[in-house]
Amino acid sequence: MRSRSATNLLLGAGLKNVYTMEGGIRAWKGMVAYGLPEAGMAYFSPATDAEEVVGLAWALEEGSKLFYQGVADHFKLDKETREIFSWLVSAEKNHEKHLLETYESMTGSKPDFEKLRTRFSDGLSGSFMEGGVAVQEALDWVKGKGVSQSLELAMAMEVNAFDLYIKMSRAIEDPKAQKIFKKLSEEEQVHLEKLADLLDTKI
Amino acid sequence: MGVLDYFKSIPAMTAEEVRQFITEKHPDDYNLVDVRQPREYEIDHIPGANLIPMAELKDRLDEIDPGKPTIVY
Repeated sequence: MRSRSATNLLLGAGLKNVYTMEGGIRAWKGMVAYGLPEAGMAYFSPATDAEEVVGLAWALEEGSKLFYQGVADHFKLDKETREIFSWLVSAEKNHEKHLLETYESMTGSKPDFEKLRTRFSDGLSGSFMEGGVAVQEALDWVKGKGVSQSLELAMAMEVNAFDLYIKMSRAIEDPKAQKIFKKLSEEEQVHLEKLADLLDTKI
Repeated sequence: MGVLDYFKSIPAMTAEEVRQFITEKHPDDYNLVDVRQPREYEIDHIPGANLIPMAELKDRLDEIDPGKPTIVY
């Protein structure tokens, strides 16, 4: 009902092509992301410098990379699973590279890795990954679970990363950084599809 | 808004149509607006959705690009 009223309000305000989604979120059977926009937004309100936004994204990619590496090691006997998680490790490494290049072109200097690490997490064991989950906690969880549940967790992370990068691309004013966040969000979408394909074969 | 407004036909898409639309389009090509409360958004939302609670909508119209189709839920 709210979205009908909202649609009506927007049409009344002169917008064209407005649609309400029938049944709302309860009818939505697709992927969902969680968490308030402010959770990430606190780091990248337009007032915050672009440097910090890129630094945060880098720290999250670093966390995800550690997680994927841990999962790849845990399921090392399952070739397909090991391969996809190793592939994700290299994909996140690539994201880190993009982010560092962006950082360098924006600031004209090389980032201080230790400073970035300690700024957004407290040491390796306290690293956070995309989606705001603590890496060690996630790895402990995986130990008791099967492949499909681990894939589901990875998918939830990728959905949140996609969500976060879209928001970052909207919130940040630097056009170069905007472009990189859009590219990253597109790539997280590809990761998600690959994970979903593998999950299909496991259930 | 008057009571009668509830009886007007409102353009709608099914969740399946929305899913297909989102899959085919780039996130820059549409506005996806979540008009629920922050608490609801926190529990789950469609990835990429912009949270504008219903009560704030008329003051935040500038966040919706009028040149793009808009999906509201």
